[in-house]
Amino acid sequence: MADHVAVHRSGLTMPVVTPRFIDNAWRRGCDFVNMDLEDSVPQHMKGYARTLIKDAIANVTKGGAEAFTRINHDLVLADLEGIIWPGLAKVNYPKAEYAEEIELLDSIISRLERERGIRPGAVEIGANIETSVGVANAYDIAAASPRVREFGGAGGYDMSRDLGVEMFVGFDQFVYGKGEVELAARALGLEPHTAPFTANTTGSVGDPDRAFLEAEAARKCGFRVGGGLHPNVVEPQTRGFTPTQEEVDEAHQVLDEYRKLEVSGETWSETDGKIVDRYEAARARKLLDWSELCSARDQEKAEAVARVEAAGA
Amino acid sequence: MSILIRRSNLMVPVTSAGFVAGAWRHGADAITLDLEDGVVPALKAETRELVKDAITVAGKGAADVFVRVNKEFLVADVEASVRPGLAGIMLPRVESPEDVIEAAEVLSSAERTRGIEPGTLSLILLLESANAVFRVREIIAASERVSQVGLDESDLSASLGISPLSDYDPFVYARGRMAIEATAAGVQPIGVAHPLGTLPRLLSGDDMLNAATDSKNLGFKGIICPHPSWVSPVNTAFTPTEPQVDFYNQVRDVFAQAIAAGTAAVPFAGRMIDVPVDEWAKVVIATSTACSLRDAEKQAALKSASA
Repeated sequence: MADHVAVHRSGLTMPVVTPRFIDNAWRRGCDFVNMDLEDSVPQHMKGYARTLIKDAIANVTKGGAEAFTRINHDLVLADLEGIIWPGLAKVNYPKAEYAEEIELLDSIISRLERERGIRPGAVEIGANIETSVGVANAYDIAAASPRVREFGGAGGYDMSRDLGVEMFVGFDQFVYGKGEVELAARALGLEPHTAPFTANTTGSVGDPDRAFLEAEAARKCGFRVGGGLHPNVVEPQTRGFTPTQEEVDEAHQVLDEYRKLEVSGETWSETDGKIVDRYEAARARKLLDWSELCSARDQEKAEAVARVEAAGA
Repeated sequence: MSILIRRSNLMVPVTSAGFVAGAWRHGADAITLDLEDGVVPALKAETRELVKDAITVAGKGAADVFVRVNKEFLVADVEASVRPGLAGIMLPRVESPEDVIEAAEVLSSAERTRGIEPGTLSLILLLESANAVFRVREIIAASERVSQVGLDESDLSASLGISPLSDYDPFVYARGRMAIEATAAGVQPIGVAHPLGTLPRLLSGDDMLNAATDSKNLGFKGIICPHPSWVSPVNTAFTPTEPQVDFYNQVRDVFAQAIAAGTAAVPFAGRMIDVPVDEWAKVVIATSTACSLRDAEKQAALKSASA
């Protein structure tokens, strides 16, 4: 695992060609903003869209969010030439199917980092799995570049089209693929980016209650990465992926109890029907680490927003 | 795009004369004449003699006619089966790419001797062991003839030592792996939702339709039907419904208007329509058209055969 753990609980994907989305993105409170050149941008506007990224990076990061860009699967070189500028944290590459694609991306990005004075390795690659070929080659894709730090997918419309299944059915039609990408990510020490199944039969993308339940369920299953399409889901996602105060208190209690065990030499104890042992202590430590990272991230964003507001006043 | 429509595949033991005689009337997209599990060993040789006529009868309703062969009598079974009117063979208990290559070679030589265009006979593979599920990628890739692949869940249960219960699905992983690997290789995965794979039975009306719809949403493109009553609900489940086709036609219109207006993301009916939704809409509409053509073809054959 990389030393630096990213905090990507919430994010909005938006067409970079729609100024009102881009201009307001910094106010949304997301951990990242994913500027889209792909599915939400019409074919005839692809060339124009990529020229907007350089200025948009500064715009969308004003509130402390990280700037990502989703490029087109078939326009890799032109898109990368257009978007790799200081401040861009991640390139999302859709429909990743072969390790060679990621290797190519890596070499182009490395050259552009050199040419444009960006720290080598700064730009992350999001290799998004959206087809059955991608699932079949998941491990090789995830292992293809150290720039791949979060890894996931295996659901969504592209996957549904590839498999020929409807999106909103009452069971998890993607369970195998999600399992495969999670295993690949975990085996390689990457942050898995997927979620357990929570039924959504309406296809709504802007329901805050649903977004919270989904994020909370994902966190309880060991996932920490979110993202969505509608401003309504940002706050509930951020909250759902952040440990609650109650959980933080409980984790402190577990560690207090575990310290006593270390003194007494016992391996486990039970209080109110709950076991405390080495495993529970490790879990508590992990939760507290994550909680601190979340707090630091929230503070960073609050300070950034305050700076913009002060400058505007 | 050309879409193979083989939704229902009715399994018929060649030894049941009445069953064979009536199979063509049920509207199945395919009929598989079984020389394997449906026939006791002592009768295998004489059963082979029945195949020729059975193929002709089974094809009267324009179904693709397959023969399920015995792995251990591959050559004899194929020789008895390959003649005009045969779409291909169903190969059970596939364990390795070599099994598939061997069957493909036997088919090639039978095509040559019978004057059938080379490469036209197709293979449906059945995986029945942990080994086969694990090696699914190389097995599927072994021959261009492979058009469909399925699990034989009963034999897979036996191979894994599972006594299946209807409440617990033992094959979430196996089915998912097969669906992904087959789709990735451009081969159609076929199969049925739990518990009908391990515990096939007759379900009434909507229950069968629902089970078949779940099967479609697992990524499958068709179901092997042990009983004629499955055929109609299976055909229905794998055919896009009229409301679906209407909805996706609207999606295509809304999306085209959005593109003209300079965006490729547009809200519609509470959803966000973008490229992948439009692409899926194209698939649904094309599948609907292909199903209509196949149904018309079968209707015409049925009519002329009944006349």
